[in-house]
Amino acid sequence: MSSSFLLSRDPVRAFVLCNEAIARSALEAGIRVYAGYPGSPTVELLEALLEAAPQAGLSAEISMNEKVALETAAGAAMSGMRALASVKSVGLNVASDTFFSLGYTGVTGGLVLVVADDPSAHSSQSEQDGRPYGPAAEVPLLEPCSPSDAFAMVKEAFRISEEFGVPVIMRTVTRVNHQSGVVQSGTLPERDPAKLSWPHKPARFVTVAASARQFHKDALERTSRIREAFESSPLNRVIPGEGRIGIVSAGAGFNYALEACALLGVNPPILKLGTVWPLPTRLVASFLSSLDTVVVVEELSPFLEEGVSLIAREAGVDLEVAGKRSGHFPSALEYDVEVVSGVLSSVFRVPPPVDFAAIRSRADELKKGLPSRPPTFCPGCPHRGSLSILREAMRGIRHVVASDIGCYSMASLEPLVWGDSVLAMGASVGIANGLSYCVAEKVVALMGDSTFFHAGLPGLVNAAYRDADFKLVILDNGVTAMTGQQMNPGTAPGDQPPGRRRIAPEDVVRAVGVEQVAIVDPYDRAAALPAVKEALSSPGFGVIVFRRDCALHADRSKRRRGESIPRSRVSPDACRNYHTCIRSFYCPAISLDDRGKAVIDRDLCDGCLECAELCPNSAIAHEEG
Amino acid sequence: MNGEWSVLICGVGGQGIVLFSRVLGTACASSGVNVVTGEQHGLSQRSGTVSIHFRTGPGISSPLIPAGTAECLAGLEALEALRYIEYLKPGGSVFTSTLVMHPVTRTAEREKDPSVAFATADDVVSRLKTLAGEVTALDARSIAVRSGNIQSENMVMLGALSSAGGFPVTAEAVEASIAELVPSAADVNIEAFRAGRAHSSRTPAGS
Repeated sequence: MSSSFLLSRDPVRAFVLCNEAIARSALEAGIRVYAGYPGSPTVELLEALLEAAPQAGLSAEISMNEKVALETAAGAAMSGMRALASVKSVGLNVASDTFFSLGYTGVTGGLVLVVADDPSAHSSQSEQDGRPYGPAAEVPLLEPCSPSDAFAMVKEAFRISEEFGVPVIMRTVTRVNHQSGVVQSGTLPERDPAKLSWPHKPARFVTVAASARQFHKDALERTSRIREAFESSPLNRVIPGEGRIGIVSAGAGFNYALEACALLGVNPPILKLGTVWPLPTRLVASFLSSLDTVVVVEELSPFLEEGVSLIAREAGVDLEVAGKRSGHFPSALEYDVEVVSGVLSSVFRVPPPVDFAAIRSRADELKKGLPSRPPTFCPGCPHRGSLSILREAMRGIRHVVASDIGCYSMASLEPLVWGDSVLAMGASVGIANGLSYCVAEKVVALMGDSTFFHAGLPGLVNAAYRDADFKLVILDNGVTAMTGQQMNPGTAPGDQPPGRRRIAPEDVVRAVGVEQVAIVDPYDRAAALPAVKEALSSPGFGVIVFRRDCALHADRSKRRRGESIPRSRVSPDACRNYHTCIRSFYCPAISLDDRGKAVIDRDLCDGCLECAELCPNSAIAHEEG
Repeated sequence: MNGEWSVLICGVGGQGIVLFSRVLGTACASSGVNVVTGEQHGLSQRSGTVSIHFRTGPGISSPLIPAGTAECLAGLEALEALRYIEYLKPGGSVFTSTLVMHPVTRTAEREKDPSVAFATADDVVSRLKTLAGEVTALDARSIAVRSGNIQSENMVMLGALSSAGGFPVTAEAVEASIAELVPSAADVNIEAFRAGRAHSSRTPAGS
């Protein structure tokens, strides 16, 4: 992305994405190790640090999953070095076992964990609110509202981490990670490439029985000290105002609150919290003491609201709390200026200056009949062929499909609407295992290559161990496609980053004793279809691998090599309006002309010929020349 | 907000709206203009609808444009321009490509029922005109092809937008930003930007 912003030794002022601001700040904080797993909305942070790593003298990796990523960063921090890990909301669930123990043991070098929640579930399986992880594990939690706020906060997070010997979460949301703004960077430190010598302290990081009980006591005491330090943290600030109604907010909610106040022409005192847990009790109580009403503006759960209410009660401050429990704000979906100004308008008894509902309803009138445009498989996507072949192979066979997280999750969307479950990374194989005990239908689990390495392996071994009666279909496109085609162990040898060797999924499958393994090419329908039919027909556990590079990744490689991408066309004379290439296939490059004949948009076509293999009239072929 | 100039940029996943925003934002930063954006990035947006809220001016904190307040709307595809019309200030300016990409959902409907009609750019433009002060519609894809690269349709649209009243930076600042951010294809992208700008400037208001 913007390598001059990341790598310039001297201060730079630039328009950057918040994720890049976090990356630069971590480099300025002198991190030695970065580890993460790509998940939206953290991907650009991962990509920035991976790109900067060689020049910055940073050890950076895409770990197999978030648990390994956190452990990698934790190992570095135990040694005394600074380290950063980043995960998306649900990624912390994967890392949570280690995370809770780290809350006990703490760290020596600074350890900051960026956790990015996704209100409105733009690209996640849930709207999970990660904040309760802080108190649950006795880990302090900070929250920024903008790129420049996050830039300053990362450095402070490392300082806190080292002062108290504790990992620190910096919690963000999509509208902060994917917010760009102008950021003034600082100076990059000189790098010392020397390795440390491990400071032998027996039992320092050993959580067993008696030591676990002691760690817990120590962590509770540590939280008290952190709470005290947060009373005077520069991350919290009071914006003075007038009147006896005040606002407490943090992160994205603060952005909307500030602008909603300006819109309504009100000027209340606002407490902007950067240290979201533990809350600075006296600071909050003092802010509340001059108020009759406090409005708590935060997305998702009433996390701040409950903390603020408790502080008010314990401090004997009698005031109204306007939040979710009072019915003012919803606990679902992200907010914006419209949502927040609507609530503030009622609390402050100021008429709204803009009738947003009327604006939206007028727009809805204009948009009547506008077709929706859900994300779908790209032209040339091998999943399109794989799913089409799989469905054809199972025609007439009653079946249940446990799907998983990845581009192929889109099979559940319009217009395909196929698949029976999508829960969590790697869950398909475990769900299929359970289904195979109970249902009469043929059970199939779907999983991509990256998901296979991320969380599919225990489920695979489980199924192989008991020869469970279902088939695992691995949709192997060679990259972690959904998040921007990152490399993974299954990536072709020629595309692997330096120093990484390829691990083929089928080698892992065979190594755990699975004998039924079929490998097919979704671009070669004629050969794949009978092979898949045969693989599905045998009893017991088996694995079918559909292998073909992600089209976006393959196209990039082709362009790099100077190869052109062929285009396909439909011969109108040969097309007999059967629409096989449209029905159940749905390529964005294929549409219909006025005569009802299929027509290919050559600007979109990837020339994969997956559609040609479906056409009973052989009407589709590459363009001449 | 006072002194604000906002544009809602939208299109179909893969059309390059992130680069559109990055180029304009970088030009703002180098010109001393405050800018805040709310972006949508690749990932789950495969051939789906994408949008970026782009806001300039002092005192902006929300990365999302409140409905009915954007000075401009820039659509790299006509149906997407209509999809985000609620963000446009009544009487604001729309810059849209005449390109219509039929979503697979609509092709699927039409395959089942031939009476289902595909939308046309003319229909979209006439609907946009009921709310917008002016609508500038241009065939950005063809202009991009003539400028040497189909992938620079985003720069054609940025060029068209640059003729809008209140546009926060000079054309020179945008071109410098293109040269900085796309060094390997600066010429073709600057050419596309200029072509879009020229096209928009000679189109009379209201057309």
